[in-house]
Amino acid sequence: MKDTFLLVYRNIRERKTRSILTMLGIVVGIAAVVAIMFISYGMQESITEQLSEMADIIMVTPGSVELGSFGELGSFTERDLKDVERISGVKEAAAMMGEMQEVEYRGEKVMVEIVGIEPRDMDAVFGETVKLEEDGDSGTSASGRELRENDRKACQIGYSVANDYFDYEIGVNDRLTINGSKFRVIGVLEEQGGFRSNVDAQIYVTKRDAVNIFDTRDISSIFVRVRDIGEAEEIADEIEDQIDDNHKLDDFTSAMAMGGAIEDLKSIFSVLQVFLLAIASISLIVAALGIMNTTLMSVMERTHEIGVMKAIGAKNRIILFLFLMEAGVVSGIGGVLGCIVGVIAANVISFGIYTAFDVEIAVVVKLQVLLGGVAVAMIVGILSGLYPARKASKMSPVEAVRYE
Amino acid sequence: MIHTENLSKTYRMGEVEVQALRDVNLEIKDGEFIAIIGPSGSGKSTLLNLLGCLDKPTSGAVFIDGINTGKLSENALAEIRREKIGFIFQQFNLIHTLNALENVALPMFFAGVGREARLKKAEELLVKVGLGDRIYHKPSELSGGQQQRVAIARSLSNDPEVVIGDEPTGNVDTEAGDAIMDILEGLNRDEGRTIIVVTHDAEIAARAGRTKRMRDGKVLD
Ligand SMILES: Nc1ncnc2c1ncn2[C@@H]1O[C@H](COP(=O)(O)OP(=O)(O)O)[C@@H](O)[C@H]1O
Ligand SMILES: [Mg+2]
Repeated sequence: MKDTFLLVYRNIRERKTRSILTMLGIVVGIAAVVAIMFISYGMQESITEQLSEMADIIMVTPGSVELGSFGELGSFTERDLKDVERISGVKEAAAMMGEMQEVEYRGEKVMVEIVGIEPRDMDAVFGETVKLEEDGDSGTSASGRELRENDRKACQIGYSVANDYFDYEIGVNDRLTINGSKFRVIGVLEEQGGFRSNVDAQIYVTKRDAVNIFDTRDISSIFVRVRDIGEAEEIADEIEDQIDDNHKLDDFTSAMAMGGAIEDLKSIFSVLQVFLLAIASISLIVAALGIMNTTLMSVMERTHEIGVMKAIGAKNRIILFLFLMEAGVVSGIGGVLGCIVGVIAANVISFGIYTAFDVEIAVVVKLQVLLGGVAVAMIVGILSGLYPARKASKMSPVEAVRYE
Repeated sequence: MIHTENLSKTYRMGEVEVQALRDVNLEIKDGEFIAIIGPSGSGKSTLLNLLGCLDKPTSGAVFIDGINTGKLSENALAEIRREKIGFIFQQFNLIHTLNALENVALPMFFAGVGREARLKKAEELLVKVGLGDRIYHKPSELSGGQQQRVAIARSLSNDPEVVIGDEPTGNVDTEAGDAIMDILEGLNRDEGRTIIVVTHDAEIAARAGRTKRMRDGKVLD
């Protein structure tokens, strides 16, 4: 075996340039596939991570959630909220009041969405992900605190509201004017981005304050978390029926289980992944043709040598094996290099996406993909080498020896 | 023992047929040193290729130790070429990527002999043909005569009963040719191997125990 390698190695080295070019084909093909796999694993993971926390959520809003329906939307009542809470399988239900209001800060006026919520419901709504911003460099330990039940005229603001909306940055203990009344900023939330970027653009106040600002008790949406994600769809239907009943209207309520939407998103994503892989595979096919060509040329050039080897007693099997091995070694090395280049490329792409779009996509390197990459490279190489290798092994020794 | 029965070979190149060998009946006894001479194109190489199982006859047969080689599979023929026959070509035909030692060891590699044993035997054979100080040289670093001696060492690596040389001295100068003939003679005299050599050179032919003439694809008496 070792000697076979030696023979094969000598032949590869003898035709260094061509072997390297062939290898390059494989490297590019495998690198493309591997990079796409790793990037899409990363995307999948970050999507799943962001979304899995939302999978048990049902968003209850008045009217259908279709875009562009700017007509007068209805609203919910305290009774609707109580009824939703009573439905079995509902873990938490939080009422939210939301309205665009004029917010003034240092003489500058901007329209911002104000959200009224019971402070005790905030954890249910935000889960673990929304935290107060760490304020490392300014010395203060964190950006304020969370809203409390007995806070009055106090608000927590989203990251964008604090940093981008006004000419001046807003910090903890600064004062804003919301719809004419002064509010104190008690906390700045950590930047969310992605699927939660709406949080960045909102100002949170207590429900009591919201009632005062908005001058109404109407609830604009109900936020529900269910105990069992599997029951989410049924519970959503039940919520719709219950509230429609309360208001004696059909299709008044829209309850959307996020879990279903997440599944849809995931399947769209896997289609995209397959599509990208198909494109990458084309480069592999090109690489396969390259190997076949190289092996064929190698066979042609070495016709004489094959003849000599057969004349001194080499069986067809050994000749076949030598050429397959040559193809396998070239493509195997190509596969390993391809994996390395693929990992580098994935990181470069990820960094590129980060700098260009400010979206962070982790590169998820999986060992089985790397091993698979090398295996695919070798299989492609050996299969492409098969035809020329068979051709070589079948040659008549005299004919081959005569060939110069 | 090798013998042929009505051995014929016809080459076909498109429309043209060349009868390179016509009904050759030849018997070569074990331990014989036979020289075959004849003008160029008389069919000497064709005959040797058939005797060496490198090619198949159009009709007739080659028998080696009583076995009709025409009835053997490709693998079995490869085994005969490897074990029973050592073939020496006019153009040496060494593998140019391998050094002398590796070239000599190659038939043993095909025979599945272990690495150590193989290289040891190869070195012994190279010493025997007077190239003990050249074992790591590539063919391109050796003279024609030296290359041919490597080829002889290679032909001996699996201890064949028969050594066949197709004009082994054809591409080397007289001095190197004599050295080669000395080696072949020694193989016959000291080791009892059967030697079949094709040559142009009457002087060289004279060193053989028996000489056969060929003309127009026929072996003359
Ligand atoms: N592969 C071949 N194809 C066609 N004709 C061949 C081939 N090999 C040999 N011949 C012809 O057969 C005849 C005998 O050739 P060969 O055995 O090589 O003669 P020698 O070795 O005595 O010079 C010649 O006429 C030669 O041209
Ligand atoms: Mg000839």
